[in-house]
This record gives sequence, C-alpha cells and structure tokens, in this order.
Amino acid sequence: MSTIDGHGLVKAFGRTRAVDGLDLTTSTGVTGLLGPNGAGKTTLLRMLATVTSYDAGSLRVLGHDPQDAAARLAIRRRLGYLPQEAGFHRGFTAFEAVDYIAVLKEHDERRARHAEVRRVLELVGLSDVATTKVGALSGGMRRRLGLAQALLGDPDLLILDEPTVGLDPQQRIRFRDLVAEAGSGRTVLLSTHQTEDVATVCSDVIVIDGGRRVFGGTIDELVDLARDRVWLDDRRDPRALAAWRLGDGSYHHVGDPPDGAQLAPAGIEDAYLVLIGPTAAASDVA
Amino acid sequence: MTASTWHLDDALAQRYAGGGLSPATAASVEQHLMACPDCRGLVGGRAVAAEPDRFAGIWSEIVEEVHAPRRGPVERTLRAVGVGESTSRILATTPTLRGAWLSAIVLVLVLALYVAHASPRGALLFVSLAPVLPLLGVIATFGPQGDPSHEMAAAAPYSRLRLLTARTAFVLASTMLPALAVSQFLPGDRWFAVAWLLPGLALTTATLAAAHWVPVHRAAIGLLALWLALGAGRWVGEGPGRRVTTAATTVDHVVQVVQVASVVVIALAALTIARHRHQLPRDLRRNE
Repeated sequence: MSTIDGHGLVKAFGRTRAVDGLDLTTSTGVTGLLGPNGAGKTTLLRMLATVTSYDAGSLRVLGHDPQDAAARLAIRRRLGYLPQEAGFHRGFTAFEAVDYIAVLKEHDERRARHAEVRRVLELVGLSDVATTKVGALSGGMRRRLGLAQALLGDPDLLILDEPTVGLDPQQRIRFRDLVAEAGSGRTVLLSTHQTEDVATVCSDVIVIDGGRRVFGGTIDELVDLARDRVWLDDRRDPRALAAWRLGDGSYHHVGDPPDGAQLAPAGIEDAYLVLIGPTAAASDVA
Repeated sequence: MTASTWHLDDALAQRYAGGGLSPATAASVEQHLMACPDCRGLVGGRAVAAEPDRFAGIWSEIVEEVHAPRRGPVERTLRAVGVGESTSRILATTPTLRGAWLSAIVLVLVLALYVAHASPRGALLFVSLAPVLPLLGVIATFGPQGDPSHEMAAAAPYSRLRLLTARTAFVLASTMLPALAVSQFLPGDRWFAVAWLLPGLALTTATLAAAHWVPVHRAAIGLLALWLALGAGRWVGEGPGRRVTTAATTVDHVVQVVQVASVVVIALAALTIARHRHQLPRDLRRNE
C-alpha cells in the first residue's frame, strides 16, 4: 500500500495556485522532492504534514484523509515533520526544546520520554550540547535539532523540508547515512536543493514546477531524460538550454547537441534542467 | 583482613543473583563479595544474564537521575503550584512568563498608578488600561513571534484547543495577578480596584470567541483597538473643561455601564465558545 496517495491536489492563496492539480504517490523508501523556488514544494509538504488543508483533489496519508479531524490525529501520531523553519524557544536547552515537542507528541511518561529525547539527540550527534541553550547553538546544530524532533517516536512517515540546508559537508554525510537508514521500512519524503542528496539517498524522485508534477520515477529514469543531451565544447554554445564553464576551461552544455558534439554522461542536474528549462539555471539548483 | 579461603561456585552465584538464598547465607555471601573482586564479577555476570530487563530498567533510572535536566524557575514554580509535569513544560514557552514581559507589565501598572494619584480622573485611566494587559499577552503569545515551534506543534497530535486554553489561562494569570496587586493602591472608591476585572475577562473571552473566525492574535488586536477607541471617544466627549465633581459622577456612571456590558459580553462569548467547542479556532486550522 502506498504511504501517500494524492490526486489533483490544489491549494490556492488568493489568486495564486501554489499547488495546481498535483498527483503523487510514494511508498516505503526515500523519495526526493525537487523543484525551483516557488514551485510549491513547501506548500505540498505542509499539506502532507496535516499543517495546511487542500482546496480540491483527494489525499490519503498513511491511509487517512488529513481533511478529517479524527484521521488527522491518526496521521500525526505516526508522523515526523521537519518544517522549513524549525524554530525553538531560545531560552530552552537543546534537550528541553526536543522534550517540548516530545510532550506535544504525546510522550507522556517522563522517564521514557527523556530516554527517547536522549536517543534522538544521540542520533543527530547533539548529545554533547544537550544542556546548551538553543540561542547559543550554531545554525547547523539547530537544523540537526529540528531533525532530532522529527525522529521522535520512530515515525512511519518522515517529511523533511530542506533538511540539509546549513549543514557542512561532514554533517551532510552523516545526515544522508541517517536518512538512508530511516528509509528502510518506512517512508521518507524530503525536499532539497542539493541534487547530490537525491543521488545518494533517494530511491525515487518527484520533480514539481508551477505547482504540478513534471516527473515521478526512479533516479535512473530521471537521468535517462538527459541521456545524449549533454555535451562538452571549448566554447559556449548559445543554443544550449544551459551551459557552464568547467574547471578545465571547457563548457558543459545541456540541450539538443549539434552534430558531432562530444557527448558526456548525464547527471541528475542535467535531467532537472531538461525538465524545468532554462529558468532553472538562473534560479537555484546547481 | 585475611584473604578469603573459599569462593562462590556457579550454583551459589546463580542462586544469590536470583535472590534464592536464605538471609543468613546471603549476608555471608555479601560479606565475602565486599572483599573479593573475582566473585563480584561472577555474580554481576549472573545477575545481568538472569534479569536483563530489570537491569536495563535500573540503568535507565540511573541515567535519568544523572542527566535529568534542571528545570527553569518558571517550570519549578508551575510544578510547585500543582501543574502537571508535561503541561508545565508546555506552559514554560508562553512569552508572558518571561522576565522582560513581567517587568514591562509591572512598569506600566506602576506608571498608571502614579497617574491615578496625580490626576483627578487618573483612576479612570487605570481602569481603562488594566483590561488591555491580558490582550497584549494574548497578542504576544499567539502572534507570529509567539511560538517559534508552532509549525512543529501544528503537526503534533497534542490537542490544539487544550494548548490554546492552557496558554490563555496563563496569560490571564500572569497579567491579572500583578494588576490586581497594584490596583489595591488606587485612590478613591475601593470597588474601583476591581472594576477593571470584568472588562479584562470580557475582552479575553471575546478574543477566544472571535478566534473561531479570525486568527487569535488578530482578534486580540481588533478588540484592543475597539476598546481604546471607545475609551478615547468617551474621554474627548466629556471635554476637558468640566468640574471635577461632575467628572467623578460621570466616571462612576461610565464604569457601571462598562461592568454591565462586560457581563453581557462574557455571557455571549461563553455561549459562542461552548457552541463551537468541537471545532478548531481559526488560526489552528491555519491555512497560510
């Protein structure tokens, strides 16, 4: 059974349709959500995390419709959610901040709750700063704190909105390890601007643009979209969809290659550009 | 002390670890264990093997005792007045419990008290300002800056209505108790000291009732503006040139009208809240 099953989802803010007739299904494993800024990623994830409602379409999360109050509660009990802006009360210590969320997640028995808080802090490598005030933690540490609270209670569904923002390379590797592990036996849906994150931890990818899904499939299927559409040249070709200069002085091109072009192996980034078009090169994925 | 001439064998260690020895034998074994590290190791191994769950439990208790976080002053106070452990953790995030907020409240109250003594109609100013304090608390608590974890709280199963009610009760307590203390020093009629209580409650309950249609903090801002406009209108309407005696009777009259109006508002607000109690307030169904 799929963990998330959505059809024709719509969410409008005034006249803007942030999510505009979107279909998606995910099951066990790690699914990456890619898309330019303003594509509707955060709105979609908030919808799936039961934080915001949808205006039209149908949605089942862990078998329940989040629009129904009782069903929403059932989803929340099995959900771990890292929002894009995961803030914490600055006067709390790292331990207290996660403990506060643990209370909201109905971990009522004090001793068991504290043990669970210690477990998730250990998982994200923050045990040493458990007694440090949130206000004194670095940005990357606060991001990990957000991840720690999402892992409370070993949820069946993990929704992570840009979990790797603000992490340094070492932390990112540790994070990927964590997510890959979390992805065995449960569903993880994460949005990211890092195509590397997708390549290393995700089994499936969903690409959205303008509130619609423009791709859904495996990594290989995504990369296939750019097969024979990547080439190298000594000079920039203006007809290319996107082109950038490499370290060795040559230019990496994505688009329709001219005859006799020196084709190069495609990556996730190239496929993403093929899907989203030239605007993507000017925005954020790189 | 002489070295032991005997040691525990497997069977004895097993029975001791399982608690199956007579008190006299157990005491003698314990005496020996004090002096013999080898036998201690033997018994230790047996004991953990015999009851792993019990030992894991004891270990977690030790960890809990050693690492249990020290509670802040707010949480300790809440615990002392009988608030539950998890509820006090939740209430500790309420902005009106922070030192800066409480100092600001006390400062405003003391200034208003000074004006009440210095000006003939100053008491009316105090009575008009004090009911506003809980509203300011509601705005601070439920505004965008109120709870930095609101997005995570929104996806958690904890009852939103319970959270709202507990926090509002706390805002009321943390603003009205200082106001009540300061108002005892007001000049004039004794009942003036409590005249602001009903309007204060009326404004707060009206905010909660209005929260079914607009976000809580916006409802509070609206009612705050309405209350201040009414007060200012009344002030200007009376005119500055009147004699003090006339003003004093007017003040009494105004305050009485406000009391009656407050009771009506509280009743209506309570009815609205009771009617909608199974639905979530507007901003807890947050759509933005």
